[in-house]
Amino acid sequence: MKIALIGNPGAGKSLIFNQLTGLGVEINKYPGSAIGLECGNVCYKNEKIELVDLPGIYSLDGDSEEEVLVRRFLEKDGADSLIAVIDATKLERNLYLLTQIAEYALPMVVVVNMIDVAENQGLFIDTARLGAIFGTQVLPAAAVLGKNIDRILPLALTSSQPPTLRVPYDHHIEAALRSLEKTMATPRRKNLLALQGTGDDAALRDAAASVATEIEQRHHMSVGQIIATNRHNFARGVAAEVVKQSQEKKGFDLDSILTRAFPGIPILCLILFSLLLSVFVIGSWMESWIVGGFTEYILTPFASLGLHPLAERIGYSVLVALEAGLGIAFPFVFTFYLGLSFLEDTGYMTRAAFLADRSMHRLGLHGEAIIPMVIGFGCAVPAVMSLRILKTRREQTIAAFLITLVPCSARTVVVAGIVAAFVGIIWAFSIYLIVFVLIIITAIVISRLTPGEQFGMIVEMPSLRKPRIKLVLRKSWLRIKEFLFIAIPLLIVTSVFLGLFQYFGVIDIFQSLVSPITVSLLGLPAYASTALLFGIFRKELAFETLAVLSGTADLGSVMTSVQLYTFAIVSILFIPCISTVAVLYKQLGAKIAILTSAYSLVLGMLIGVLINILIK
Amino acid sequence: MRTSLREDYLEAILIHTGRYSQPPCAQDLIEMLQFDESDVRAHLEELAHMGDICLRNDGRIILTDQCTATGKQIIKKHEILQSFLSEILGMDRTSASDEACRIEHAVSDETIDRLGDYLRSPVPQSPCGSDAVPNRYCLHGVQRRISCGNANVLGDFEEGERLVVRDIRGRGCSKRLLDLGVVPGQLVLIKRKLRNGSIVVQVKDCDVALSPEIASAICVERMP
Repeated sequence: MKIALIGNPGAGKSLIFNQLTGLGVEINKYPGSAIGLECGNVCYKNEKIELVDLPGIYSLDGDSEEEVLVRRFLEKDGADSLIAVIDATKLERNLYLLTQIAEYALPMVVVVNMIDVAENQGLFIDTARLGAIFGTQVLPAAAVLGKNIDRILPLALTSSQPPTLRVPYDHHIEAALRSLEKTMATPRRKNLLALQGTGDDAALRDAAASVATEIEQRHHMSVGQIIATNRHNFARGVAAEVVKQSQEKKGFDLDSILTRAFPGIPILCLILFSLLLSVFVIGSWMESWIVGGFTEYILTPFASLGLHPLAERIGYSVLVALEAGLGIAFPFVFTFYLGLSFLEDTGYMTRAAFLADRSMHRLGLHGEAIIPMVIGFGCAVPAVMSLRILKTRREQTIAAFLITLVPCSARTVVVAGIVAAFVGIIWAFSIYLIVFVLIIITAIVISRLTPGEQFGMIVEMPSLRKPRIKLVLRKSWLRIKEFLFIAIPLLIVTSVFLGLFQYFGVIDIFQSLVSPITVSLLGLPAYASTALLFGIFRKELAFETLAVLSGTADLGSVMTSVQLYTFAIVSILFIPCISTVAVLYKQLGAKIAILTSAYSLVLGMLIGVLINILIK
Repeated sequence: MRTSLREDYLEAILIHTGRYSQPPCAQDLIEMLQFDESDVRAHLEELAHMGDICLRNDGRIILTDQCTATGKQIIKKHEILQSFLSEILGMDRTSASDEACRIEHAVSDETIDRLGDYLRSPVPQSPCGSDAVPNRYCLHGVQRRISCGNANVLGDFEEGERLVVRDIRGRGCSKRLLDLGVVPGQLVLIKRKLRNGSIVVQVKDCDVALSPEIASAICVERMP
């Protein structure tokens, strides 16, 4: 038995899914898609039910990744029953999707969620009437209060039925649908898609294309536009029939502060700054515990085992990689995710995108790109993974270059550990300043060079709400899991290789080969190149390796301030860490991965040399 | 029975059949036309007697073929008149519909055909941009001729204004706009406009944030 939840983003699907499944949710990658489907099992009356939470979508005809995935899911896998979740406060817009879902004629029930909020706003919804129009069972519910949630599964199991509703389209469209039905013997729903130029049946698309052109010429409007207008008008009619509005209540609208330039933008800066600061403070504190504990209880006992030197080297590398992974993942990345998921759950991030839109345009991006950028301050790996919210290849490419330069939490550790500690706080901030200037210059140059059109932002701003702690925790946990799966294996492999290189003396050869660059161009000690090399593996390892190689934790006593400053800035800029490169390769292909790495390598070297020449 | 009354019945039966994919029963007609129950029953009897309608065994009412054609003609008249009144003359949709309800019974077929041709004929040059669409679309597919002459784009208006979407220019990103409900004829409210041109509009009770260039691709008109 397979039941899928479907609905608009923000309709409360995830919360219902969470309440129905509880723990034991897993993310299954859907074949051929980067998006994971959340699946969970529920036992009801001794029957095992597989529950799938489909990603939130606005339409079933679109070509965004989520929409394509849901469409394919409905067409290929299907489900024994669909639970369509609609938001009572935004009924009309939600009905638009519901009319499309109804066209798939799968057995379904409709849950009208947030009925409590709607009633507070003076909206009363005649669910029986709605059910009669669509020909399905309709259940009013309030997921936040847990109202009627326990009735969803029994209803879906006993009373799911294919909806009988058919949206009346424009008569030209209807005629085209009928003629396609006759000539191609394909179902209405597929013909509708084909008329809009989508669907995977090429012959049908060709047949539909000529009819579509004809209709478009008559209407001077695209078929997609006509169909959408028909559906919206239909939805408006239904909403007018089932919603009774008693009186309009107006509470205080927080958006009257948040989306204004003033004080909205200062608030945005304050929120982002305090997010980063608290992640840094909490992260450093947790990291010292984790690394300290790891060294004391695992590394020291391991060293005292007295294994064969080669085995010890390999084992040590694996353990150090684990330590590094955990030392960055939980203190920094996880704390950051908690904060970010919290902000996302309140709905604030869309306000941030709105406020940042114009500035992002200057960088060749638009408001939505602020989300990967902000994530980049935590860690570049999830930031790159989140790039898929940007719709065009051009935006993804520009954003990828910028993300590799954004100072992530590991780089912050380097700046704090080397520059702030031994050179001075002001100098630490100057590094940030340099990096920001470089980001802006890079953006301007890259956006000129990258081909493609610039598109603007169209984002729904959901109503602000109190974050649901459980959902925030779950989202952060799923994200950190994704991070661990990518980063930890890579860290172990790279670490073992570096360990072996060190064991067989390859590192020394490398050090002497690049020493002309390190010593004469950058003005650093020869062993700094090894430290930089380790930085590729994990940025703050550059700092730790430097301490090990120089033989003292008091770096100020072995290197000059200029040397420390140069070292910090080079290690920050040059080559994103190996996990980032890997995830760039996975997400955007080898070309972008190589280009961004090469670019940051050149940039890092260039700035390092410049500083060395100018300041010395 | 008055012709106009008869035509109202035919129209109501056809609309109901189209909307719910099944013919109406007497109760549906009472709701739709908002007449007294006894009147409706009497009228239906009269219509059945004249051979316009048949009462099915399940109480649902179907039209004879002859009357279906008449009913369709009435609906067409209604749509064309409503389009003309609302789009060309600028009446608001509800009063245009009420007015069309009255005229539809008196207007001749020839007037309607000519009006239809007038609405359908394209405007050669539209100031709304090179790829702008001069024609509009309404509920059942009547095309209307509207000049974009005094049409403005969303970005030209200020916070708090209520507007009606007339057209969306350009392609590409318009699909998401359509899905969010920004379609011709839709009422929108500008909830926020920043000085740099970014806009938040309220569409169908939802807030949607738009970049300036998107806001300037949406042709709108002030609420009449």
